[in-house]
Amino acid sequence: METIIPKTSTVFSALLRADLTTQWRNRRGAILSLMVPVIILISWKGYIAKIGGPATLANSLCYGLISLGLMGYSNSIARDRDKGIFQRLRVAPLPSWAIMMSRLAVQLIMILIITTAIFIVGFNVDKITLSPAGYLVTYFTAAVGGAVYLALGQAIVGLTKNAETVNSASRLVFLAFILIGTFGGLGALGPQIQEITHWTPYGTVETIMAAGMAPAKWDMDATNALLVTLGYIIVFATVGIKQFKWESK
Amino acid sequence: MNNQQDSILKVTGLNVQYGSFTAVKDVSFDVRKGEIFGLLGPNGAGKTSTLSSIEGLVKFNAGSVVVDGFDAREKPLYARAAMGVQLQSTSFQPELKVSEILQLYAGIYGVPLTKDKLEEILKEIKLEDAASKKFGELSGGQQQRVSLVISTIHNPRLVLLDEPTTGLDPQSRRQLWERIEAIRERGHAVLLTTHSMEEAESVCDRIGIIDHGKVIIIDTPQALIEKYKNDPEVIAVSRRGKVTLEDVFIALTGRAVRA
Repeated sequence: METIIPKTSTVFSALLRADLTTQWRNRRGAILSLMVPVIILISWKGYIAKIGGPATLANSLCYGLISLGLMGYSNSIARDRDKGIFQRLRVAPLPSWAIMMSRLAVQLIMILIITTAIFIVGFNVDKITLSPAGYLVTYFTAAVGGAVYLALGQAIVGLTKNAETVNSASRLVFLAFILIGTFGGLGALGPQIQEITHWTPYGTVETIMAAGMAPAKWDMDATNALLVTLGYIIVFATVGIKQFKWESK
Repeated sequence: MNNQQDSILKVTGLNVQYGSFTAVKDVSFDVRKGEIFGLLGPNGAGKTSTLSSIEGLVKFNAGSVVVDGFDAREKPLYARAAMGVQLQSTSFQPELKVSEILQLYAGIYGVPLTKDKLEEILKEIKLEDAASKKFGELSGGQQQRVSLVISTIHNPRLVLLDEPTTGLDPQSRRQLWERIEAIRERGHAVLLTTHSMEEAESVCDRIGIIDHGKVIIIDTPQALIEKYKNDPEVIAVSRRGKVTLEDVFIALTGRAVRA
């Protein structure tokens, strides 16, 4: 009897298939993540003339990504950790990173779906169109932006063991981002707060996405925002991975 | 790798520490081919820490764990591939159907699973009608059966079962014992932890009693009873005149209830 280590590709495809099925069966949560930006996009119709179509799209997409990373990802990780699902997987001959990579791959697919949905709603409801390069770069910036919120979600799960506390903490942070985006980002709380908001994880992601939608106008501010965004990803992911415990006991 | 060896699992001088607390102290034992070895101990004795170290879930501070010739520290993936594990709680995604869980773990262990093979497995565990049921919809006994079959889906040399019959009714428990014995008949080595002395006496070929992180004694259940049947302490705790394994266990580990 020979001991066989399965190929990483075989293991990964089995994990991915299971994670996609789980995501599909829990599609109510995903639909909610999709509804948040769609509702914002429709209700912000009046802002299009003021801040422009791309910025409106970027704002609503930002909320979708925040919802996905904070409400969806962190809660599903906390729940599975609580149920011991990760421990069961970890006793199998597969590297631990494969478990998380599969989860993140599902989230990446969700980011692409939300981005596409926003493009479709933006075109059909508000007649917002982008150049082909704009659509392409936005998929990239949405993935980078989504990574910030997934990393933040990971940090919350890393710093908090209890699933209920993860749920409460992620809701609080989500609410904070909504407030920052709605009032701070639009200048309702004054120029100083608007400037601070510009460099928060909400502001930098919103900046790179708005810039990505009109790549010809990509400027130094967008480059700086991209660098800060990458910095946020590194910091949140480092905290989230280093502090993460595979079991909640 | 030496597939001819007698010991499928060899634990030597195992030490597990959580901060300043030593949960496992210099634990050594082996589990042989075609043997069911029971690890018994009161709550907090170090059973789960020992098992978790073997499974690779807990990093041990000293000692060695060798599974089917593979050092668990040097070749963790090979050691894990050589063992099948059933954890204390049956922990699978509740949204997945039974057939999907089997496919997932077959994929993870690199076992080709055709439709016929899947049906054969389900028939074997008497769950042929439950293939499309979600795991969360199964009864406790059905969940345990799925969990046990997954732990042996890749035909491992060593099967680790952490309190496999906890919470089962007598019928399900008996059925599970038969399945565990069938695993032994196929030449696998089985290491199980249990609080049930009846289970240890009925199923295990040898048992190790662990307390305060140390292995107190290792022997066959019958030999232990024989050895201690005239011990005044054992007779003192005996409730029905006839000395049982439980009497020996209580005499060796004390009457105090553990947290």
